[in-house]
Amino acid sequence: MTDAPVIERIPGDLMIWVLIVSELAVFGAGLLVFLAIRLGDPTGFAAAQDQLHRVSAGINTVVLVTSGWLAARAVRSAEDGLRAPARRWLGLAGALGVVFLILKGVEYGDALDKGIGFETHVFFSFYWMLTLFHAAHVLAGIIILALVAVHVRPDHVEAGAQFWHMVDLVWVVLFPIIYLLR
Amino acid sequence: MRDDLTRAWVALIALSAASTLLAVVVPRGTGSAAVGAAILALSWFKARVILRRYLGLAAVPAIGRGFDLVLALFMLGALGLYLAA
Repeated sequence: MTDAPVIERIPGDLMIWVLIVSELAVFGAGLLVFLAIRLGDPTGFAAAQDQLHRVSAGINTVVLVTSGWLAARAVRSAEDGLRAPARRWLGLAGALGVVFLILKGVEYGDALDKGIGFETHVFFSFYWMLTLFHAAHVLAGIIILALVAVHVRPDHVEAGAQFWHMVDLVWVVLFPIIYLLR
Repeated sequence: MRDDLTRAWVALIALSAASTLLAVVVPRGTGSAAVGAAILALSWFKARVILRRYLGLAAVPAIGRGFDLVLALFMLGALGLYLAA
């Protein structure tokens, strides 16, 4: 099978990879525009960024990569025909997704309490747009993980986990640029 | 559970902690170019681990290298914009 064309050896369904590349391109373009606009007001961007919860976002990174590990374990279990463990790993992965959203909700609540909205500063326009769009993907991922856990099939579990890893991948690129670079 | 997935997870935790610590502990303005480059490099390593271990591209090295290259170009572009400010 190693003689098969490279594209046929890619793990999982090709369409999920089209989705992964598309999502990375969309978020990547948004982040580069964010950095380009920062050129005009680096001091204002740094002051705005100081109002974010860096440590909370760092904890959320740990939550998401741990959730990714659990989803990857679910794939291994499903491939081995272990339906109950696969379901358990998927449940734990989804639960950590909920933890991510709760921490995000606390962060958003705090920002709103400070009167920080879309139009407070262009930094926050991008902050809300990119992080809310990502959070929507997390919510979609939790639903997908729950759906594939109902009737555990290796191909379905793999596709659900790949979507989840895509969400993880976007976050590890978004997190340093929005929260850490100053 | 010292398998490849667990090793990847440990690496991701360590890389995430390192980038957050760099941003929180190092005062603003102190070697900001080096700190920015280090934070983006750590992010590139994290993305690489997720692609290879969680998403399974370790089994298809040619495609893995393609993703590495595109992500590296993205990080270099981001670093260039960060340093130009």
